[in-house]
Amino acid sequence: MLASIRSATLLGISGQPVQVEIHVSNGLPGYCVVGLPDAAGRESRERVRAALLSSGLEWPQRRVTVNLAPAAVRKTGSGLELAVALGLLVAAGDLPDSALDGIGVLGELGLDGGVRAIPGTLALVDALRCDGVREVVVPLAVAAEAALVEGVTVRPARSLGELRECLKGELPWPDPPDPPDPDPPDPDEPDLAEVRGLAGARRALAVAAAGSHHLLLVGPPGVGKTMLARRLPSIVTPLDPEHALEVTRIHSVAGLAPAGVLMHARPFRAPHHSASTAALIGGGSGGRIRPGELTLAHRGILFLDELAEFGPSAIESLRQPLEERLVRVSRNGATLDLPADVLLVACCNPCPCGMARRYCRCSEPQRARYRRRLSEPLLDRFDLRLAVEAPRPSDPAGPESATVRAQVARAVARQERRYAGRGWRRNAHVPARALEIDSPLSPSTAALERVIATERDLSARGIVRLRRVARTIADLDDRDALTDVDLLEAAELRQDVL
Amino acid sequence: MNETGITESVAAATLAGLQGATPHRLHRLFVYFGSPARALEAVRAGRAAEAIANDPQRAAITRRWQRTADPASVAAVLEQRCTRVWAARQPGFPFDADLPDAAAVLFAEGDCPEVLERPRVAIVGTRASTPPGNADARAIGRYLGEQGITIVSGLALGIDAAAHQGALEVGGGVIGVVETGLDIVYPRQHHLLYAEVRRHGFVLSENAFGVPPTRARFPVRNRIIAALCDAVVVVEATAKGGARITAKWATRYDREVLAVPGSRRNPAAVGCNELIADGAHPLLDPSDVLTAIGRHSPATGARPAGWGESEAKISRAARLLHAGMAGEPATLDGLVVTSGLAVGEVAGLIRELERAGRMERARGLLWPC
Repeated sequence: MLASIRSATLLGISGQPVQVEIHVSNGLPGYCVVGLPDAAGRESRERVRAALLSSGLEWPQRRVTVNLAPAAVRKTGSGLELAVALGLLVAAGDLPDSALDGIGVLGELGLDGGVRAIPGTLALVDALRCDGVREVVVPLAVAAEAALVEGVTVRPARSLGELRECLKGELPWPDPPDPPDPDPPDPDEPDLAEVRGLAGARRALAVAAAGSHHLLLVGPPGVGKTMLARRLPSIVTPLDPEHALEVTRIHSVAGLAPAGVLMHARPFRAPHHSASTAALIGGGSGGRIRPGELTLAHRGILFLDELAEFGPSAIESLRQPLEERLVRVSRNGATLDLPADVLLVACCNPCPCGMARRYCRCSEPQRARYRRRLSEPLLDRFDLRLAVEAPRPSDPAGPESATVRAQVARAVARQERRYAGRGWRRNAHVPARALEIDSPLSPSTAALERVIATERDLSARGIVRLRRVARTIADLDDRDALTDVDLLEAAELRQDVL
Repeated sequence: MNETGITESVAAATLAGLQGATPHRLHRLFVYFGSPARALEAVRAGRAAEAIANDPQRAAITRRWQRTADPASVAAVLEQRCTRVWAARQPGFPFDADLPDAAAVLFAEGDCPEVLERPRVAIVGTRASTPPGNADARAIGRYLGEQGITIVSGLALGIDAAAHQGALEVGGGVIGVVETGLDIVYPRQHHLLYAEVRRHGFVLSENAFGVPPTRARFPVRNRIIAALCDAVVVVEATAKGGARITAKWATRYDREVLAVPGSRRNPAAVGCNELIADGAHPLLDPSDVLTAIGRHSPATGARPAGWGESEAKISRAARLLHAGMAGEPATLDGLVVTSGLAVGEVAGLIRELERAGRMERARGLLWPC
């Protein structure tokens, strides 16, 4: 009277295969789940029982033990319920032992016997595939998403009763739903051409998009910092298929992915400045660690408006993830590495009064206090730091997003070619040594770099950052060699703005 | 010294340290009893009420003063700190004690009290100054310091500090008039500047030791600055700032007032422009100060460093960029848009101007100078 069904649970943003074992034996009627289920897992008894009864099946009046193996891993959520229900049918002899051989089962049950969608299907199916499963039963609503995983046959399930008959071979499997059409491009998507003036800031935006350099815009309220930053998605290159799957997986776990479509657009996350440390870098308790904004913005853009208003601990917690491009979250019983390869774009005011009239009315101590909200190490993470001011109404509008996007795409293609087969893909991530070999400076340019370094009192790291930005500027202009002008521009785009 | 063995200085310092010893009451005491020492004697004998006969609080004050006057401990502190005390109408008091609302007792500490013997010019302005304003204050301080004029200012942030620093750079004499007791440094980050001012001049206060800075004391202090000097130069002043108050006192004391004109867009220049509208002399060149105090400017005709065009050669493009700023601060954005050049080219010109000393960075903006 033993059944064993393969299923999976979420661990951070990845799936963990779980073996659902059902043992039905003689004894006092009872039901007990072991193997570290969470509250939703413990409550599953009532849903499984009602679903079985609603589907016209029998609830065994015997002693039922459900074990979720491996026993030491915390199981989260309700995605194991369908496996439990099918396991009971197998254990009761209603389904043949072989009916579920090599099949993974995912899904939550409704009291009426319906099968409900679960978050993170992509990650769960992927984990089962890696575990050798070639056929999965998933809720119909997320079947299209499960189908994004290659090499797995997806069996959509609408209800427990129907699923039982399909497994017995009495009914054909329902057709998987057609994958929804990817969203047509939004004609109202904000375009760079709507922004007037701000020529330097536009340039910095293109450099940031091309080389993945973090960007800080500092200026009075209402000059268009936010407007500009929100147009960054319109000039970045789309995700390649591998990254698209990765991003869709993360967003599916967080319950944010559009069902069944790969996300080709880079994510753009703009948390409010009241966000906590856990909200930014990820957190949670027990086995349920949730990705934070940094991870949700993975391979995309993290936009922090009003940077100086964020809580000091929240904002300083970004320092290490920005450098390593991953977040290490340690909680009771689990340490997880969450990916966090983001392009950080931040805006803030230069001082409490916002320097609304160019001439600030704040006293020096007020300004100093405001400046101290952002630590030097954090400011150092920004390769591009720019002061912006209100454009005049007569200022010309710049080029359209499409034009800039083409320029950025060309610069990205140059980098992909240069860094093919290496551990990095963008100029902002090139190690110092590789930069030296790939982009040597002419003697006169190297001399200028030394002079700038002395004038600006740059550290060794500062010089590398300068050179990386210069590299991206040359890539944007489709040039191989770095020139004096590239270095000067790079230096001008990274100023002490506060 | 009189028969009790208490000097006039110790007596004046003791009286100034008493609670409720306003300049007005001190003047009355000194005049009525004839000298600080005799006034102290009378106070200790419980006769203070005779001098302040119309004062509604005279009874309470007389009792309190009689109880708290302690010349011995005051003398010890004065001796230990080498503090000079000047009382109104006594030898050494640096200005006419009969000016309206004049201070009655002044405490001074510093190595060069002789800077008082030279012509004195106050340079004052707002704490919320702009970088060009600071540069101007510094240049004027430097120029006047070279001309052997003592710079009087308030040791505050912004213009005050810049003026002192300018004078100190050329070894000029300085007087810092502060609102706290002389044992307190305010603002704290100016402790090095305080030390420099003590070495090349002195710091001056009408308040006894231990008096903390309060909002109300700053404008009161400004009347001493106005009384001490022959002319007041206001470099940058907001519409309602303390520098305006100094200028008001200067007018009342019949001192010459000069103001550096500024852009109408600059809130730190509004006060100066209003002063000029009210009849202050516009300061177009630091030598205007010499004319104002009745001295002839030196015949060399050379412009002081940091004032006006510098000699460094710059390219035509850089000059055009500088001219296009029209004296206003700008960002990279603005310069790119007005010049129509590429960002890289503008970056090169900015660097050229910076190296020639024609442009300065502060608060994230580029300021032409």
